[in-house]
Amino acid sequence: MASLSTTSLSFKAPSIQSTRISQVLRKASSFQSISFGRFHSSKSLRLQISCAAKPETVQKVSDIVKEQLALSADTALTAESKFSALGADSLDTVEIVMALEEKFNISVEESDAQNITTIQEAADLIEDLVQKKPATSEAS
Amino acid sequence: MAAPFTLRKIGVPPNSANLTEARRRVFDFFRAACRSIPTVMDIYNLQDVVAPSQLRFAISAQIRKNAHITDPKVIDLLLFKGMEELTDIVDHAKQRHHIIGQYVVGEGLVQNTGNKDEGKSDFLKNFYTSNYF
Repeated sequence: MASLSTTSLSFKAPSIQSTRISQVLRKASSFQSISFGRFHSSKSLRLQISCAAKPETVQKVSDIVKEQLALSADTALTAESKFSALGADSLDTVEIVMALEEKFNISVEESDAQNITTIQEAADLIEDLVQKKPATSEAS
Repeated sequence: MAAPFTLRKIGVPPNSANLTEARRRVFDFFRAACRSIPTVMDIYNLQDVVAPSQLRFAISAQIRKNAHITDPKVIDLLLFKGMEELTDIVDHAKQRHHIIGQYVVGEGLVQNTGNKDEGKSDFLKNFYTSNYF
């Protein structure tokens, strides 16, 4: 409807005074701006809820740990099991962190990697990094 | 996607003061090597031949072979040679059959018989020192 009115007005343009045209055009543009505004406001802000890691992340981490340390498939791995208790030496821990880096496509700093001793901590750190990552890729 | 990792070539750093620092350097080297694995797989077209986890295992096996060494200077030298090897591989100075033979296949092109002195008997070890032992 708005477009029809503008086309009809444009036909009459030579006869109508310029101020009136500008008024109508301003109204039309304001219509457009209103619609755009509505469009933007529909995207709600994402709330960053800081909570414990998701269970599927913990599961993925456990799978990688099992594969790395060559544990049998039915060993019970809780979120609190320490890597050293499962028979991993320090090089194994670093290798697990690198495998997690590859799997989740993140980059773990050395200072963060020092503190990882249990599966839960690894999952929390991964969640943290995965959340931070999309924010930077959106900005770019 | 995490920023692609580039191997920066820095000069030879001074020797590690103690075992802890040597240990830290070993882990830094291991991390650098693991982060270069995607580049290596891309350069030598290893996508169908090997998985990144197997290459990681090969690297850690090489490091573990020398895990018993306690002298920081020896560790530094081993790391230097390791870094040299890694730089050669990343620079495409090697060829595909080198990589496959040395790191993918178990035995490798050259027979890896382990450390030189481990299997020898005491007789041979003391042979040069004296006749009577």
